[in-house]
Amino acid sequence: MGQFREVTSGRRVVQKLYITIMLWFVGRAIVAAYKSDPEVRREFDTLPGGFTFSLGVLPVGPRMVIRKEQDGKVRYLGQGKGEVMDLDLTIKHMQAFFMILSFQESTSTANARARLYVDGGVPEACAVVRVLDVVQVHLLPKFIAKLAVKRYPAWSWTRHILVRSKVYLRTVTGI
Amino acid sequence: MYNPGYYEFYCGVKTVAGHHALERIPALLKELGASKPMIITDKGVAAAGLVTVVAQALEAGMPAVVVEDDVPVDSDVGTVHRIASVYLSKGCDALIAVGGGSVMDTAKGVNIVVSEEAENLLDFAGAGVLKRALKPLVAVPTTAGTGSEVTMVAVINDPSVNRKLLFTSHFLLPDIAVLDSRMTLTLPSHLTAATAMDAMTHAIEAYTCLSKNPISDAFAMEAVSLISRNLLSVVDRPDDQEGRLALAVAANLAGIAFSNSMVGMVHTLGHSVGGVCHVPHGTCMSILLPYGLEYNMHKNGRWTGELLYPIAGEAIYAATAVEKRADKAVACIRQFNQALFEATGGRHSRCFKEVLDAQGKPAVPREKLADIAQTALGDGSIFYNPEEVDFEDALMVMEAAWAGDPLDRSLVKTA
Ligand SMILES: [Fe+2]
Repeated sequence: MGQFREVTSGRRVVQKLYITIMLWFVGRAIVAAYKSDPEVRREFDTLPGGFTFSLGVLPVGPRMVIRKEQDGKVRYLGQGKGEVMDLDLTIKHMQAFFMILSFQESTSTANARARLYVDGGVPEACAVVRVLDVVQVHLLPKFIAKLAVKRYPAWSWTRHILVRSKVYLRTVTGI
Repeated sequence: MYNPGYYEFYCGVKTVAGHHALERIPALLKELGASKPMIITDKGVAAAGLVTVVAQALEAGMPAVVVEDDVPVDSDVGTVHRIASVYLSKGCDALIAVGGGSVMDTAKGVNIVVSEEAENLLDFAGAGVLKRALKPLVAVPTTAGTGSEVTMVAVINDPSVNRKLLFTSHFLLPDIAVLDSRMTLTLPSHLTAATAMDAMTHAIEAYTCLSKNPISDAFAMEAVSLISRNLLSVVDRPDDQEGRLALAVAANLAGIAFSNSMVGMVHTLGHSVGGVCHVPHGTCMSILLPYGLEYNMHKNGRWTGELLYPIAGEAIYAATAVEKRADKAVACIRQFNQALFEATGGRHSRCFKEVLDAQGKPAVPREKLADIAQTALGDGSIFYNPEEVDFEDALMVMEAAWAGDPLDRSLVKTA
């Protein structure tokens, strides 16, 4: 015994860092898309005021919390501070989440492979997944987004150029 | 073989099948340590004399302590609590559910309340809330369709908030499924047709949608084959015991396949037609099945094509060019619906404009199609459909299925 060195998985640390950053980015992008994209706004309009949801990793990995306030405004609450969730989208383990966030696997494929737990109302979960799809199309170049969604949407050029730049700008600046 | 990369498969139900399978229940319950079973059923099943058959089968070995036959068409929380209190007051220690989906769901709900000594069933709603095994539950299906004797889901209505509560847990799986040909022998032909097409849809969607895996595929293939070979002859000769048993086994296989691989847009739209217009589930399935396959064909045509083999048999499969097989499979399903329409004297509907409600009025008015398409977007099965379905897509498919025209596939939006 003793001749083997304890090895910490450097890869896992990098993955965790990447996921944390991506979640921060996606969280802000959802708020930005809500402000700029009519389709995302429509989806949020169907959710009740105070609706809070999170996207995260089991068992206690990083998460991202979004709330639609009573006045209708959508806010990104970072990792959350013990808010009661109406909807929890949880990925079973970090490796699986990494596959999704690095767009090696689409959200729907991940779900199909039973990597995604949905705790909450199904109609609301459907709406949130549609929002995530739109946000991905905004944020990613077409050749990657095509892997992330089932069907790359045929948007007008104004939506592709104008709305998308607004989403980018708002994601980065937070206004 | 298609390897999805990663998948999970589970089926923890012991299946007992035969022309005299019911007689085995006492011995099987004894193995599970039970001695005082309660029968849960509904008025229709009781009136058809099926509970008497079950009671007689139990008589010698382990007679039922009490029979509860007051389960509504849609299971609800109040009924669950009422039956649970009867169970407790009579000192029962096992449940035998005799009926269709609603009876099974009610029995699963009762089992949660009596096993967990729950004050309120609602505390156990959601996924994975149950943490330990429940009381022994025997499921005796009286329709060959839903497959709920092998699913881990219960849907129970909460009328106080007008909501459907979903319960999912491996512990909700019945311990034993009993498939006995006597239970479906008297099922009227149009119901036999509709419920079998529901089972057919479970198998076909499990085989062609996103969560398919090799184990489910094997179950689905055999289910499709059994239904294709037996349904028409059973509708023609309702007392065909062998055929009846084959359909019951097919529904069971299809249930196992779809509870592991899920279903797609045929169920997405079908649930929504059921919710908005109260059309029976099996009817929705038989009408929508060809449309779902056409809509997704550019994505999953290969799988649909493979299904031509169990649907039409070896000769037709071999005589059809590979790239034509998916279209041919859809055409065969339409022919099948047509044959069922004729064999049931028109009671098996081929499109939604033909469906009539209890008063003989059209059950699906065209003005409702937009409503149906909107409701469909909130159904979880939409996740598992190979192609994206938005409001316009859903409406386009519903328009075609309403009129009975094949889908114009050039209208399907692809990437
Ligand atoms: Fe079904």
